Amino acid sequence: MHPLLARGERLALYLALWMIAGALLAALLTGEGGLTAWTAALLGFPLAAAYAFVCLSAWYVARSAPLATSGMARLIGTALGASILSSAAWLAVARGWAAALRRWSGVSISFQEIATLVFGFGVLLYLLSIAVAYVVAAFEHAREAERRELKAQVFSRDAELRTLRAQIDPHFLFNSLHSISALTAADPGAARRMTILLGDFLRESLALGAADRIPLAKELALVEKYLEVERVRLGDRLRVRVSPGEGGECVVPPLLLQPLVENAVKHGVSHVLDGGTVVVTASCTPSRLTITVQNPADADRPRSKPGTRLGLNNVRDRLRTLYGSDAAIRWAEQDGQWRVEVNLPAQKTP
Amino acid sequence: MTTTPLRVIIVDDEPLARLVVREYLKAHPGVEVVAECGNGFDAVKAVTELTPDLMFLDIQMPKLDGFEVLDLIGRSVPVVFTTAYDEYALRAFEVHAVDYLLKPFNEQRFAAALSRARERILARETLPVQDLVAAARPRSGPLERVLIREGGQVHVLLVERIDYVEAQDDYVCFKVAGKEYLKDQTMAAVEAALDPARFVRVHRSYLLNLERIARVELYAKDSRVAVRRDGRRLPVSRAGYTRLTKLL
Repeated sequence: MHPLLARGERLALYLALWMIAGALLAALLTGEGGLTAWTAALLGFPLAAAYAFVCLSAWYVARSAPLATSGMARLIGTALGASILSSAAWLAVARGWAAALRRWSGVSISFQEIATLVFGFGVLLYLLSIAVAYVVAAFEHAREAERRELKAQVFSRDAELRTLRAQIDPHFLFNSLHSISALTAADPGAARRMTILLGDFLRESLALGAADRIPLAKELALVEKYLEVERVRLGDRLRVRVSPGEGGECVVPPLLLQPLVENAVKHGVSHVLDGGTVVVTASCTPSRLTITVQNPADADRPRSKPGTRLGLNNVRDRLRTLYGSDAAIRWAEQDGQWRVEVNLPAQKTP
Repeated sequence: MTTTPLRVIIVDDEPLARLVVREYLKAHPGVEVVAECGNGFDAVKAVTELTPDLMFLDIQMPKLDGFEVLDLIGRSVPVVFTTAYDEYALRAFEVHAVDYLLKPFNEQRFAAALSRARERILARETLPVQDLVAAARPRSGPLERVLIREGGQVHVLLVERIDYVEAQDDYVCFKVAGKEYLKDQTMAAVEAALDPARFVRVHRSYLLNLERIARVELYAKDSRVAVRRDGRRLPVSRAGYTRLTKLL
């Protein structure tokens, strides 16, 4: 849609501006064309109004030859061609109008004398219109780009937040804070240790979360920190064994294991009366890295309990986005043990 | 205020979380903590044996969650839920919880919950048991496990392990791998709670797990029996047979 036709007040303003061109034309016709002021006005203003509409087409001409992608020859050719054509059309209209005026009011206009003047003026006005159209287009382009960038920014911030939320369960925070609240009276020293532990974990997960890939050793250190916080909460019921194998130098997406160990605690160990051990291991061949998270599961638990799958699906989606079909996640339950295995290409730190 | 102390049990699987409640209670004279429980089983046992006046109950716990505990004790011990999860608030309200404390909570908020509980106990606002149980029931989808209380002991029966259910006077009897578990419930209620695609009311007195059926035999004119995989037989009524053929 043409930007001027889209809104009535814009079109009115545009036509008002064109009346200046009308006055200019009338002045020219009086001075150079030798017409009386009255005749020049009668001729000039209506013609300017008519040409205003013709010049609306300049916008489309400008669009058909964008500044950024068209060569200079094409730009000039298009602009001149369109101007000459439009002005010629305008000249025909002017001729008709002059003839009509002659018939109705009897003023004698020698059209031959003013034809060159009208034509030249028309070409100039049309070129001016094209220039204005280019300016408007550039302006709109800039605004559109700005809006797109803003949208992209909001979107990426949103995505960041969502991944972080997907990776760290807010209830973990609430429960930890509640533990701290208990410890402040019972064991202030332990309360302090817990706040520092929690602070360390959060700071590190935020710092690592911003990275593209991190060494597995760092990821496992973060996992251990998380489990240490959970051990304050769950006490002896939670036991932990983390062995990096020789995969420590491989890189992984940050916080990849977080949802898995969270599940291991939240849906695994914490549902078993006597608790159990969360075992995280990694093994590495020259091409593949395999990480497993294993924990005991309550045999009597309801099978379709929501939540477990959410974390697993998040990890699977993430792997798919990052590695396509080159990474996989599998899970299975055997002998009361829940085991998740992540298999991905072994990429080393550069 | 009554002179007899308010007898309270604290149910939470986290020792530190129980500690918070215990500590906050110190500020309130006339309250006696009669038990602390670290899981749902212990909670059911403690409620059965000690009949407390008030229970502070966590929701996420091993074996039984807070709502399942409520469902099992089936009586109106006033309950104050304590949890880090705000998404259960609506359900807590439906089972007539006195209050719903979101961890971490402060002493003022705790005191408000306690005085609210005292008001309710003083007003002897008892709720019909059926209401409580019914309200604890509705969840999304059919039941996945049946909980049975035998005195202070709790049995958890996974639905897929149930062979069949038999009506016995005022009880229903769940048959699981040769064992029997009685529950104080109507056959209609059991039928409504279980997955209708898995359990069929083959007879007024029998609700049968479809996977256990080997075949259906004509036994006399208009009378049939379902032969189970273990060779045992169950009567099938005419209406039961219609339901069965619809599913098979």
